Amino acid sequence: MRSLLLRGASLALCLAASAYQAAAQDADTIKIGVVAAESGAFVSAGHTLPAGVGLAVKEINDAGGVKVGDKTYKIELLKRDDRTDISTAIAATQELVRDDKVAAIFGSESHDFTLAMAKITQPAKVIHFAGNSTLAKVLNPQSVAPGGEDHYLFQSEPQEFQRSGSTARGVLSLLTPLVGHPLKKSVVIVGNDATGQFLTSYYVKALKAEGQEVPEVISYPPDTTDFSPFLTRAKSLNPDVVHFWYNGDSTLTALPQALELGVAPSYFLFGVDPGIWKERGLTADVPVAMSCVPICWGESSNANAKAYFTNYFAAGAPKGVTSSVSLLYYDYVHFLAEAWEKAGSLDPDATVAALETLHHKGVVSDDLSFNSSHQVTHATEVCAAAPGGAITCAMQQPPADAPN
Amino acid sequence: MKASHTMKNRASPFASLLPALLVIGVLVLVPALGPSNRTLSLAISAGINIVALYGLAVLFGQTGILSMGHAALVGVGAYVAAILARDAGIGFWVALPLGSLLAAVAAAIVGVPSLRVSGHHFVIMTFAFGQLLAIVLTNGGDFTGAATGLDLQLPVTWFGRDAGELVPYYFIVVAFVAISAIASWAIINSSYGRTLRAIRENEKLAASLGINVGRHKIGAFVVSGLFAGVSGVLLAYFFRHISPNQFSSFPSIYLALMVMIGGARLLLGPIAGGILVSFLPEMLNLDPVESRILYGVCLIAVILLLPNGLIAGLLQGLQAIVKAAFGSRAETPAAGANNASGARR
Repeated sequence: MRSLLLRGASLALCLAASAYQAAAQDADTIKIGVVAAESGAFVSAGHTLPAGVGLAVKEINDAGGVKVGDKTYKIELLKRDDRTDISTAIAATQELVRDDKVAAIFGSESHDFTLAMAKITQPAKVIHFAGNSTLAKVLNPQSVAPGGEDHYLFQSEPQEFQRSGSTARGVLSLLTPLVGHPLKKSVVIVGNDATGQFLTSYYVKALKAEGQEVPEVISYPPDTTDFSPFLTRAKSLNPDVVHFWYNGDSTLTALPQALELGVAPSYFLFGVDPGIWKERGLTADVPVAMSCVPICWGESSNANAKAYFTNYFAAGAPKGVTSSVSLLYYDYVHFLAEAWEKAGSLDPDATVAALETLHHKGVVSDDLSFNSSHQVTHATEVCAAAPGGAITCAMQQPPADAPN
Repeated sequence: MKASHTMKNRASPFASLLPALLVIGVLVLVPALGPSNRTLSLAISAGINIVALYGLAVLFGQTGILSMGHAALVGVGAYVAAILARDAGIGFWVALPLGSLLAAVAAAIVGVPSLRVSGHHFVIMTFAFGQLLAIVLTNGGDFTGAATGLDLQLPVTWFGRDAGELVPYYFIVVAFVAISAIASWAIINSSYGRTLRAIRENEKLAASLGINVGRHKIGAFVVSGLFAGVSGVLLAYFFRHISPNQFSSFPSIYLALMVMIGGARLLLGPIAGGILVSFLPEMLNLDPVESRILYGVCLIAVILLLPNGLIAGLLQGLQAIVKAAFGSRAETPAAGANNASGARR
């Protein structure tokens, strides 16, 4: 019995010692988490999240850390793969919030995962950044006000009317001189899924606001590989531009088929970086516009972006169709660190108050700030490849107001 | 059949329920072991699947009908819960029977035309139903939340106390797993269960005995819909956000996979299948591609080597080992296991 008691006491002492050690380590670090699809169907966009967040964390730690009040903290990044599975995303968020006690979470790339994750992060007062423009459905001044259900949730991608507005304006202004006549009629070909439906409703309005006639939106089932029925329908409408919206991988499958069928005198590929265009040696006998989310890595008019992508790829991130999505997260790690420094505290409410008032100088914009619904505003880059292969790019500012 | 009946006559029907209740008893103790919240969260997801699997087991294991659109019935339950909460302020406990009932109605609506065909054609019909439901939900406008889906805000309460946290919700889910197991057991051991098994073994012979085959097949599909509806309500209140993607064809394939791997004829089968498919990628750190390869290999192995599923295979293996070790004297324990199997057929 005595021996048992002694063993129990030793075990308790060991546990107490290790708990003390862990607490001591925790005292000098701030834990943040990222939940993203590093495997599965969404891996193309998903892997860019930990890569972008990881680069920012490394830069902050290499620069000495985050000075909060009198104390300097290093940031510890905990990466969790959601395997493109909502149960795993929720389990990972529960783990990060309840077991690891992270101060902030970044992700996920999928809007419905993000909305389910927010149901865990928000009651726990964990600052949550997500680059899903669909968050506009839940973010409003009431929901993000103190005590509101999404007070700690931030949308790190512009509102969709802004992004669609920038994109539509940029596409038409770059393609018009290359086509050589005014562009009047647009047909949108879109994947019929959650994101496609949501984005298209805004993009069509944006095109109409730019004076385009949009006779039809043609929806294709996700994972389509033979686009000929949809392209034939589009051709019959005699468009000036066919807009492939929004899945970059599907778009790259559809374009060669469209060129083969001669569907339109110009095309627009949403979410395809000129870097991919060049790396794959793609060519077209008609002008092709491309847009990036939010800035292109293969060719860019933005000097900050060139430096960022040099570091991003040097850190080992692969060059992909959606590498630029990392910028929807990278800037906000720095932004958050600045907010902690300004607040002089890691208290979530003080941090949110600082985030709401700060103007941060980032890569995507020299003046990043959140509006009263916790949403950012910045420009989107659009590029166009001329038939000869020359690529020109321009940053397009968003419209001030949503079109009616 | 004759051997199976003989075995059944020798054992109490409760013997077949006991192993499942023992396993569920162990599952009740899991929170006391201090699992991580990640494990607990995955366990809740697995438990929710297991409830649906019991329904699928009645359909597949007892009636011999495989549905590849079962996730759609789960979706009906989930959307009923979310819409009732949003539009009528109806909470968890009332949503459970209503969600279950409407999923059963959906099953009846699908079942009536679908069960006019059988075998592979029925599988294709249920698969198409799953796809159709996803399309309807995606294009349902504000009513279904379209492709973005619906949020669920109402709390889960238990006698006025919040039961939405992980541990209390885990207990609620385990309780529904237990209820599902008992309900399955009651069906299996009823005259209705025997009728379903007669249809499974030989439809024409069953019809010649005066059994209304079509009506009973639809009935089995409706019963499986009841389980799926409960699973859907549990899922909606756990995820707190639902969207059409969660109920399309791929989740249905996973449900069918779980029930086939675990075994549809034994009460332990759905539990084994649900836990295995939910936790295997986690334990072996497999990415989705590796997981699918593994599931494919498992499925082929189960079909070829263990046609009644993993649990039945394990029991048979155990029986063989005991028999080899103790000779004919070992008849009793092994027969017990066999009895359990036989009683659930």
